[in-house]
Amino acid sequence: MRPSGITVCFCVLAFAAIGGWALGGIEGSKHDFSNQDWSGGDACSVCHTATSEEPTATPLWDENADLNRTFGTPLEQSKRAGMGTIICLRCHDGTIARDTFGGAERERFVNREHPGLHTAGHGTSEHPVGVDYPRIDRGYRPASSVTASGTVQLPDGKVECSSCHDPHNMSDQKYMLVMSNTRSALCLTCHRK
Amino acid sequence: MTMRRATGWSMSALFPVMVLAVVALADESIVNSKHDLSMRGPGPIRAVHEDEICVFCHTPHNAAPQTPLWNRANPRTFYRIYESSTTDARIDQPSGPSKMCLACHDGSMALGNVLTRPDTHPIVMTARTIPPGSADLSSDLSDDHPIGFRYDRALSNVDRQIRAPEIVSVKLPLGAHREMQCTTCHDPHNNELGDFLRITDEMSAMCVACHDMDGWEVSSHAMSGKRTMGRVVDPGERLKYANVRDNGCMSCHKIHSAPHPERLLRFEREEEGCLNCHSGGVANFNIAADIGKRASHEVERRTGVHDPAENPFTMRRHVECVDCHNPHSVRHNPIGTVRGTFGQTVKGPNLNVPGVAISGGYRNEAMFVYELCFKCHGDSTSRPRLNTSRQVSQTNVRLEFQVSNPSFHPVAGPRRSPDSMSLISPLRPGSIITCTDCHNSDNARSMGGSGANGPHGSMFESLLVRNYETNDYTTESAQAYALCYGCHSRESILGDESFPSHRRHIVDFQTPCNVCHDPHGVYRGQANSVNHSNLINFDLSVVMPADTPEGRRTVYEDTGTLSGSCTLTCHGFTHIGFPYANSAGGSSARVRNYSMGANR
Repeated sequence: MRPSGITVCFCVLAFAAIGGWALGGIEGSKHDFSNQDWSGGDACSVCHTATSEEPTATPLWDENADLNRTFGTPLEQSKRAGMGTIICLRCHDGTIARDTFGGAERERFVNREHPGLHTAGHGTSEHPVGVDYPRIDRGYRPASSVTASGTVQLPDGKVECSSCHDPHNMSDQKYMLVMSNTRSALCLTCHRK
Repeated sequence: MTMRRATGWSMSALFPVMVLAVVALADESIVNSKHDLSMRGPGPIRAVHEDEICVFCHTPHNAAPQTPLWNRANPRTFYRIYESSTTDARIDQPSGPSKMCLACHDGSMALGNVLTRPDTHPIVMTARTIPPGSADLSSDLSDDHPIGFRYDRALSNVDRQIRAPEIVSVKLPLGAHREMQCTTCHDPHNNELGDFLRITDEMSAMCVACHDMDGWEVSSHAMSGKRTMGRVVDPGERLKYANVRDNGCMSCHKIHSAPHPERLLRFEREEEGCLNCHSGGVANFNIAADIGKRASHEVERRTGVHDPAENPFTMRRHVECVDCHNPHSVRHNPIGTVRGTFGQTVKGPNLNVPGVAISGGYRNEAMFVYELCFKCHGDSTSRPRLNTSRQVSQTNVRLEFQVSNPSFHPVAGPRRSPDSMSLISPLRPGSIITCTDCHNSDNARSMGGSGANGPHGSMFESLLVRNYETNDYTTESAQAYALCYGCHSRESILGDESFPSHRRHIVDFQTPCNVCHDPHGVYRGQANSVNHSNLINFDLSVVMPADTPEGRRTVYEDTGTLSGSCTLTCHGFTHIGFPYANSAGGSSARVRNYSMGANR
């Protein structure tokens, strides 16, 4: 039986509605600082500075910051965090975050008065980042199955902020998660509990 | 064709794998376990709106400063901790992971109170706190298996019934300081085995990983296939497995909220745990029926007095099953139907029970049956009193059986009296008997009955295995003195083969054996071999003094083999130096096959 025109139409509309709901983006999200007077008026330049024609993932601000510092994690094996973490902690560790771009005033974005990730360096309170994903551990699913769907990523085989969070909010989940955590699905992507 | 076959193969091969994967996922994961408190969790206690599972305990950010990313405040409860007279462990307030478990399971804290939510807006739950029941341990942890003690070599060296920590399964992790935690036994994320256990409790596997009770592996309780199906062990609770072996420790013990806290027993009254099975229905013999008889070891009489660490000399009066039996070591008695000469050492049912030796010394493990009896009937200040008032009064049974006494029944050692001509084969002068040859359940197997061996209870006074009349003016019959006639031939006694006036006294004047003879023995510290040989120790309610030139006297004098004299008044007759001698008694008349029991 051929689908009727109304059915097709309904499907298209439904798809569009779901798509519209699912498709988030930085615009209108908490990361959209474009209406702040210190932001330079656009949503990108807070993190991305175009020194050439191409925006780069490596921001050039705060040249004095030690990009190779070890961020506090509960685990011994915590190593140097990757870019998927460092970029975030520039604002979210509450200690080195400075609005050192565009010549604006220096200001801490996230600090104790503005709850967030303010205890980096105090070990056990935060989920480890910059750590190698456990390879042979019954408590964790194999890395290959974690990254199979492409939603959760383990850059260089490490767990980074960007493994769970999408700063551009493309999935439009709470806490800018890369996927819905209903039934703790995001946690259980890695943790075999 | 090839393609189709290959597809069919892969499908048929994959299908069970897929099924297994689904099953494994369901069992091994916190998802859909009782700890899944999300709104779609399976239990009655769950969130009303919250659909995340991990959030009740964990958060990725701003967690409590304890691993693993803890999302709850610790309870500030001061716990009543486990105490026991027998533990060598130093038990502290719970810490670490245990405290985290208690953040819900002590019943004090709201389940929905997590650090990532303000106190004013906790996760809304179907129940604010854990409702009363098996999951609510309360702030009283004295009825729960102890936690918070260090399990190290120092402990296992002192308590030899605890395994060395190195050989305990790696599946049972200790805390950061090698201390026992809730998480040693429980994995809160995995309910595959039920009760979130890390090792199954079937056949006591979980318990024996650490506990190494003497004799347990070969004990009846560890090996019995007796069915316990549906047996109620606790109000509202039934044993988990089908038979005694599989239930193992759990047949008697309860690990949490135990009605008998110190021993973690399922019943508050000590004997109930035993009689629950030993009352017919599960175990072979109905001990409860024996205990209910006229004379018994009344285990139901007192509760909470027995203590495994008690001092038998100063303990308060009581009797419990465990005074004579060690439920961790009990074994079937392989020679239960053979009595007397073979039975003086403790057998399977009484292995690994403390006793008091004939010397008066304490033994961790009684070697002889009488050593069990001496715990209460010997030097103990709470020993029972005797029924008969005698010339030489002694309530300490241990002293009565000293082998250096003027006379004694040969319990603690042989006695080779030339006067013992009435013994029925295989008994002979030099034989050893046991307390349980006289004091035993009236239907004991060793006495030809169908019940359990041992002095549990008897229809006869003084927990005697056979009738033993002690009232004066008893008409003699095989039944009246069945106890004595079990070993001493009635024909020989009444045939006057030893004392030539036995018949005259017992039959004609209806005097019970007990009037002249003291059945246990006469202690050397109070008596000499002239006046108290042949177990002579008169019953002063029957035997009166005689007026003699030396004054009023009640005295027996031994003047050699089978001869003596009496000075006393009895049944109105006065004997003054009344002599007897028997030259007729001899070996030819000694042994008669006079049978009264089934096992001769």
